Amino acid sequence: MVGTIPTTSATGGRRSRGPRGFALAFALPMPVWQTLFFVAALLFLIVMTFWSVRNFRVEPDFTMANWVKMLSAGYFQDTYFRTVWYAALAALVASLIAFPCAYGMAFKLSPSFQRIVASSLILPYFTSYLVRAYSWKILLTENGVINGVLGYVNLGPFAMTSNLFAVLVGYMTLILPIVILLQYFSLAHVDRRLIEAAHNLRCGALRTVIQVVIPSARTGLILAATFAFILSFGDFVSPSFLGNNKPPTLSILMVDAVKSGSQWPRAAVVAITMVATLLLVAFLAMAFAYGRKAESR
Amino acid sequence: MAEPLLVLERLEKRYGGLVAVQSLDLAIAAGEFIAIMGPSGCGKTTTLRMIAGLERPSGGEIRLRGRRLNEIAPWQRDTPMVWQSLALFPFLSVVKNVEFGLKMRGIVAGERRRRAMKWLERLGIAHYRDRPVDKLSGGERQRVALARALVTEPEILLLDEPLAALDANLVVRMQAELKQLQQQLGITFCHVTHSQSEAFAMADRVVIMSEGRLQQAGPPREVYRAPANRFVAEFVGANNILDGTVAEATGERVRVDTGIGAFDVRAAPTRPLAKGAKVALVISADQVNVAAGPAAEGNVVTGTVIGEEFVGAFVTLHVDLGGGTVFRVQLQQHALDKLGSVQGKSLTVTWKPEHAVLLSNA
Repeated sequence: MVGTIPTTSATGGRRSRGPRGFALAFALPMPVWQTLFFVAALLFLIVMTFWSVRNFRVEPDFTMANWVKMLSAGYFQDTYFRTVWYAALAALVASLIAFPCAYGMAFKLSPSFQRIVASSLILPYFTSYLVRAYSWKILLTENGVINGVLGYVNLGPFAMTSNLFAVLVGYMTLILPIVILLQYFSLAHVDRRLIEAAHNLRCGALRTVIQVVIPSARTGLILAATFAFILSFGDFVSPSFLGNNKPPTLSILMVDAVKSGSQWPRAAVVAITMVATLLLVAFLAMAFAYGRKAESR
Repeated sequence: MAEPLLVLERLEKRYGGLVAVQSLDLAIAAGEFIAIMGPSGCGKTTTLRMIAGLERPSGGEIRLRGRRLNEIAPWQRDTPMVWQSLALFPFLSVVKNVEFGLKMRGIVAGERRRRAMKWLERLGIAHYRDRPVDKLSGGERQRVALARALVTEPEILLLDEPLAALDANLVVRMQAELKQLQQQLGITFCHVTHSQSEAFAMADRVVIMSEGRLQQAGPPREVYRAPANRFVAEFVGANNILDGTVAEATGERVRVDTGIGAFDVRAAPTRPLAKGAKVALVISADQVNVAAGPAAEGNVVTGTVIGEEFVGAFVTLHVDLGGGTVFRVQLQQHALDKLGSVQGKSLTVTWKPEHAVLLSNA
């Protein structure tokens, strides 16, 4: 016995060093990739906001002109708040539409049916979001399918493109399935005994959803909404194709800055503002999702 | 018995073809501490859940103070329960957990807080009022769960193995506290457990269930000393069971032929037994005596000690009586000291006829 102990620990030590180096080698590409294509790119983007454009050519410089010009411009401020509002609205609407669906999946379907529905929610992502958003246009335009059908019963035509409604429909195409899935995963993990305990303490069915189910699934529900916000905030497809750039969002502003006049530095200002906004939103959402587990007055 | 508070009548629960509870009749008096026990899957928890309305009976009736409960939603009943997992709301503080039931009844915030604090103080956890429940120890959380269930001052409290997750020392303390609480409050406790010591330590009446059926209900002592059937005899206590046939039945005294000899037993005169009837003898391990030399009194048989088990001041000897029969004999440590070393020794095993219970083995 005494003799074997050092032997095993020696082999253990030698063994663990080998695979650790091996595992590190496999883990390395990801940090390298992240550093090259995200951190370095981001740093370059920050640097570029201080450059200037002369004769449609970007030149290294150190000027605050781009920041001052963009942040003081009324159209930028309007667009910024509009984009935040659209993304927040999309997150809210998606969360509200998704909740009954995710709730039904988690609590009313048999486990095998749950698996079928959950995997069918991944199916939309098999086709490009661009294609799906574009196909909405066929349905929604003035002489599109929906207005055509409504025309038979002497209704319409309704303006369903180039407005907030169209943009929201597009956002839903992008985010709704993933919001339902994320909500479903968090609802499926709600302890059923807590629901029974609530019923046992005279909490009715609907009230239990508000008092027990939502607080229990809080982290997941907030994460789903955050995800919806992030995806909608940076989206270009819906506001461009379904909203016809009217009114513009930050992503459209960014593309415009580049297209009309090669204003790469100004586009970089917009991009950095967006990244900063998303970081702030993500940070606040995490604090809200994980903090203050037990509320106490 | 006083007017029963809760009546279960021919209560049944089936899941598809599986029968969880079968034709259960039980009346529980107001102020009674009742323990429903049995092995897992015997239907005890299902019965409790039906009382709380968390399962719907497939047949029969549940009545609380004469009111049929079967179709009443769980949130319209006053049958608070304490879960094995406690099921405390992790997103609420201690005091808010306790207030929950009051809030659902629409009691205003100030009154709610006052009543919740009264219970927290009574159970000695008032200083934890603002803590999150997951920052408490097992015993403290147990008290929060009790306070949450009792704050609405119900007539009956349902307990579903709430002590199962606690360590042994704490279990004994909580048993005493629960019993004391129940006596002070004078409300009915309906406690489901698989632990015999838990049931016997607290309950006024013990209900033994097996395979969805009620096997025996009665005071702990009665169930222990006079098991109604073979299942109870095997489940409760440490009993020795001998199968045999009636050799002779004269009045109160019945002589039973078994594989290891013929023994006398005192039987209740209400049950006339035919000669040759199949019966079983149940002899509690603590009613058996052993001696090194020959003994004259009662039923005598000799055997060899094949094992010893020590639990505290008690010793259980395993004595091989031949013919595949091994008797368990429970002795106090000092009684064993007198015998000296017994392992492998031959001993005389005796018990009095009145200490054996006769079961019909039909």
